[in-house]
Amino acid sequence: MTREGEVHGIPADPSAAISVRGLTKTFGNFTAVDGIDLDVPRGQVFGFLGPNGSGKTTTIRILTGTSAPRSGQALVLGEDVVAHPERVRPRIGYMSQKFALFEDLTVDENLRFYAGVYALDPAVFAARRRYILEMADLQGRERELTRNLSVGWRQRLALGAATIHEPDLLFLDEPTSGVDPVARRQFWDLLYELAGRGVTLFVTTHYMEEASHCHRLAFIYRGRIVAEGSPNEIRANLSTQRVYDVTVRDADLALGWLETADGIAEAYLSGAALHAVIDRGVDRGAGALRERLVAAGFADAVVVSVEPTIEDVFVNLVSREREA
Amino acid sequence: MSLTRIRLLVWKEFLQLRRDPLLLRLLLLMPIIQLVGFGYVVSVDVRNLPTAVVDLDQTVVSRQLESSFTASGYFLVVARPDAETQLTSLLDTGVAKVALVIPQGTQDLLARGQTAPVGIVVDGSDSQIASVGSGYAAQAIARFNASRTAAFTGSLQAPGIDARTRVVFNPTLDPINTMIPGLVAAILMISLMSIMSQAVVRERESGTLEQMFVTPIRPSEYLIGKVAPYALLAVAQLSVVAAIGMLWFKVPFNGSVWVVFVGLALFLLISVGLGLLVSLISRTRQQAQQALVFIMIPTMVLSGFIFPIESMPEAIQPLTYAVPLRYALTVLRGSFVKGSGFEALATPLWAMVGFAIVIFGAAVIATRRRIAE
Repeated sequence: MTREGEVHGIPADPSAAISVRGLTKTFGNFTAVDGIDLDVPRGQVFGFLGPNGSGKTTTIRILTGTSAPRSGQALVLGEDVVAHPERVRPRIGYMSQKFALFEDLTVDENLRFYAGVYALDPAVFAARRRYILEMADLQGRERELTRNLSVGWRQRLALGAATIHEPDLLFLDEPTSGVDPVARRQFWDLLYELAGRGVTLFVTTHYMEEASHCHRLAFIYRGRIVAEGSPNEIRANLSTQRVYDVTVRDADLALGWLETADGIAEAYLSGAALHAVIDRGVDRGAGALRERLVAAGFADAVVVSVEPTIEDVFVNLVSREREA
Repeated sequence: MSLTRIRLLVWKEFLQLRRDPLLLRLLLLMPIIQLVGFGYVVSVDVRNLPTAVVDLDQTVVSRQLESSFTASGYFLVVARPDAETQLTSLLDTGVAKVALVIPQGTQDLLARGQTAPVGIVVDGSDSQIASVGSGYAAQAIARFNASRTAAFTGSLQAPGIDARTRVVFNPTLDPINTMIPGLVAAILMISLMSIMSQAVVRERESGTLEQMFVTPIRPSEYLIGKVAPYALLAVAQLSVVAAIGMLWFKVPFNGSVWVVFVGLALFLLISVGLGLLVSLISRTRQQAQQALVFIMIPTMVLSGFIFPIESMPEAIQPLTYAVPLRYALTVLRGSFVKGSGFEALATPLWAMVGFAIVIFGAAVIATRRRIAE
């Protein structure tokens, strides 16, 4: 039997946490997910990156069995999730950016609800509840409505509720969006703790600095996987180019100049600064770029050569994909 | 399907209901207030209609006729103009709504054993007053004739007054008796649908719906868990509202309790189902609200709740068969007023069963599709 998904040449791997071949999902004329292949080994933190609307959430929906693909194969924890979502659901957890707790229920009631949904027996629930309350730092606040908790606490409680049944695989859809950097840091510590206990994490994010927290990454753009590998392998995509960090007062104007200037492969905003990508073949160093900027009227420009970040790679991959 | 999970969902729903005081008030208090309020609006008897009497006869008989009007309590004489010509201004200004004109020679005609015409003019600008006023006028004249007939014992063809009124009305039909059962149905439908329509869409907006569907909870379990608490509340609502309708407004109940119960239960199920469907199809709460208005207005207009179906244009009448409230009204009015049983009301009852099946079938499909998206 040949399935259209076997473009890897190897069939889907039932021993992996997730193994996907040729997965396609269309909405009318729009192809949200376009024949993707993915392998997520067990026990890893897998980062699924891409801009909004690139197919991240659609992929998660298929993998959690809430949406049926048009074609392709999806094995989750060795089970065909399209044919038998009910076999997969008790063993997976899911947490979205919305922290989908019942806001008009208390901390305890939320936990009790999800414990009941997964049919935990009372002794297990008591232990899990103790653990979650401690993890989320909510001891003594069990009877508070979750509506009254602040974002960081709600996020940790949502993580607790999503993992109350100790799933083997946890899907996190933009779990940290809208959370302050400190809380985000704490949250990643919790994720590492879960990973340390053998839970596979499938995380989508558009915070590029979070990508380096992952063991493996996949970039999805317009429904296609455009790069896959460890963070270092991903960065190697840019080995033929150099990235310069440009600080200038009038960034907007400078960006306009860089975008059209000769020999600049790519220019974009990166935080408060600009990043300019130059092919190594035509690169003449930071000093040369600064001179050109000064000549163009940006006298205050400061140019520093930097290591490419995941974001740099990402922007590059996207622009290559656009040109293709 | 797991009973444990359904129980859990019901438990959760009740907890949420308890925490939402506005919703509970809406569910239990609003129907009562509406029923009492609307009940009085429809039951307000037209009394003390300002009446002008033009007595051109000035005889014993003409005074007897006038007193048979005032004795009824429905008419209050506010003016006694000397000539008919003065009536126009009285009616125009609204000083009088009804006028009684007793022509000269009325007593003489009656004494000669002939029929005497009197004029009754009714302000038609308010159709309610016009119909009620002319109806009561006809009654007053009938009473006057009856008393004269009694006086002329033995005479078969007693001469009487011939009242010329423009509007025909049957004042023995007390509107409240037919209105209250319909009002009960309409009020329950409005409150159930508006609450139910928010039920699912609220969970979609908060993301809890998405969360629940990646757990082992199945769509059918979710639907049952959603409908059951509201169905229970609907029964509570129904009992309270029905009790008020019957005890407060003293609506006589001629029919079988079971017919009414089955009819209302079916109708409430339809209302819950329709609300649920609206909630499943809508993406936001505003959408749900608009969809609700879209359903509610034709329901009120086409069900026969406000306007009798018989009086609608023939082209419109077939549309009324698509309105579930129509069947509920037939069952309730039939049972309350006429005492009809299951056999007589089989058609509307089965029609409601059909509606319930179609609506819940659509709800299950909509849930599946909504999840799939």
